[in-house]
Amino acid sequence: MRAETAGTGDGPQATAGGGAAELRGAVRVRGLTRRFGEKVALAPLDLDVEPGRVTGLLGPNGSGKSTLMRCLVGLVPRHGGQVWLDGVPLEGDGVKVRERCTFTPGELSLYPRMRARDQLDWLVAGRGREAAERARAIAEDFDLPLRQRVHTFSHGMKRQLLFAAALGPRVPVRLLDEISEGLDPNKRGVVLEKLLEDVRGGTTVLLSSHHLGEVQRICDRMVFMRAGEKLNEDTAAGVASRARRLVRMGFEEGVDLGAVERLARAAGAADVRIDGGRCVLQLAEEDLRPTLRRLLEGPDFPRPLRLDYGELSLEELYRELYGEEAV
Amino acid sequence: MERTLRAYIWPTLAYLVLLEVMLAAAILYWPNFEENVGALKAMAPIDMLKDMVDTLAQGGIEAYVTGQHFFKGCNTLGTAAAALFAAGAVAGEVHRGTLEILLARPFTRRRLLLERWIAGALALTVPVLLTTLTVPWLLTFVDSEMELAPLMLCALHQCAFLLLFYALAFLLSCLMDNPMAVALIVLFFSILEFAIYLVKVVTHSSVYRLADVEVFMKVMLREELDWSQLIPMLAVIAAALAASLAIFQRKLP
Repeated sequence: MRAETAGTGDGPQATAGGGAAELRGAVRVRGLTRRFGEKVALAPLDLDVEPGRVTGLLGPNGSGKSTLMRCLVGLVPRHGGQVWLDGVPLEGDGVKVRERCTFTPGELSLYPRMRARDQLDWLVAGRGREAAERARAIAEDFDLPLRQRVHTFSHGMKRQLLFAAALGPRVPVRLLDEISEGLDPNKRGVVLEKLLEDVRGGTTVLLSSHHLGEVQRICDRMVFMRAGEKLNEDTAAGVASRARRLVRMGFEEGVDLGAVERLARAAGAADVRIDGGRCVLQLAEEDLRPTLRRLLEGPDFPRPLRLDYGELSLEELYRELYGEEAV
Repeated sequence: MERTLRAYIWPTLAYLVLLEVMLAAAILYWPNFEENVGALKAMAPIDMLKDMVDTLAQGGIEAYVTGQHFFKGCNTLGTAAAALFAAGAVAGEVHRGTLEILLARPFTRRRLLLERWIAGALALTVPVLLTTLTVPWLLTFVDSEMELAPLMLCALHQCAFLLLFYALAFLLSCLMDNPMAVALIVLFFSILEFAIYLVKVVTHSSVYRLADVEVFMKVMLREELDWSQLIPMLAVIAAALAASLAIFQRKLP
């Protein structure tokens, strides 16, 4: 019950340091926690989703992305912390928050016996006629056979139907969990284009995805999560810069990687991580050459068998952050 | 609410037609029953059934109609309908995986649950009331008559009894994740209770004592509802609904 009252005592001004007007279109999370029995699904988590921007949530399965989204709209009650969406605090069962956003779950379960048109109307019920008409227009753009029953739809068609329902209502915030999962590249492109068009109209989007290309393409900001915690948060440009400053070195067996780490830090590496027989350096400057030269020309530094640097894809950066098993 | 009600249309129509067919068949059989009551009593395999035939014979057309329509028709079909309408209400959503999209819409959980509860309750009780309305007309085919007002009081009592099953089945649906399991539990319980009803020494402990011929005859004769039975039934219904609301409020998708 603490969670239910957590947002009522202090207004956004008092706790989050901003007025309700300032939070218009934004999502603000402070100290959000959620446990399932002994398992911590969300450690105290702070998050700011800027208005009119696309923020991507990235992380391996079980990292808490979906739980976070469900908590934001009140589907899963929180055990602590506060949430504001479009300046409205999350209270009770969250209906006031859900009025200001659309939420598309990652699980693809619809009513199989319903006609697609009825399913669409059902999904946008309570949003007004305009939302239903807009959702239908989007579904028709996808060439979805709206007179057919949902059980005749393929996985991708169901996904598009959910997406049309998510984009139908004119709301300030959209929370989209795996919106393009199971779509072919063409349809994915259309979906993302429609989403970007919507964002250009001023909508805020929080998007969770495993499709790194999609995140790279549309997100202004990226939040990396692991085990219910926010691992890292950066702008798309910041992530790109970080990717450019990563150097990966492979060594022969038997090389003292502890010594490599020490020497790398001494040479000016901002961060060093040993991963199996590899060493991943995060350098401070965009121009890697001076630090690398200092390091490789040092008399004690072992000669690497392999050295990679330069432009890294988001997928490679993701691998560096989470390890091989996450990719 | 309209959309929720629409989901019940076909099963409700089927339930209504079956009730009406059973009622019409029973009423048209009345002259044969009256003629052969002695033989029927002799054929009855157990004492409770012999007593029941006696009660129907002594109570005349009133006892026969209430026995056939309410005790036999509504209690059997109604219990099955209660299980069917309630089982899928919440457990069906969990089982199908649609609870998340249901809850993600801009409605309070209280509203969502009450809409479903009321829609199912209407689907369960309206056919009982509608079929009862046709009794006086059906009786004209066998040159008999009954007043509608006491019959409708019996129908209200029957509705309360069915709602008791429905409310408990709905509560189970909120507690469990498998609609088939909910329906089977309710049907098993109702069969068990009916079996207890048929055993003379324990018949008083069966829940069907709340809606048998004796109860309906009392309502018919007094021309008023039996509040001593109705109030506890309504209290259990209200408690089950309150518990369903509390459970649904915490239900995770």
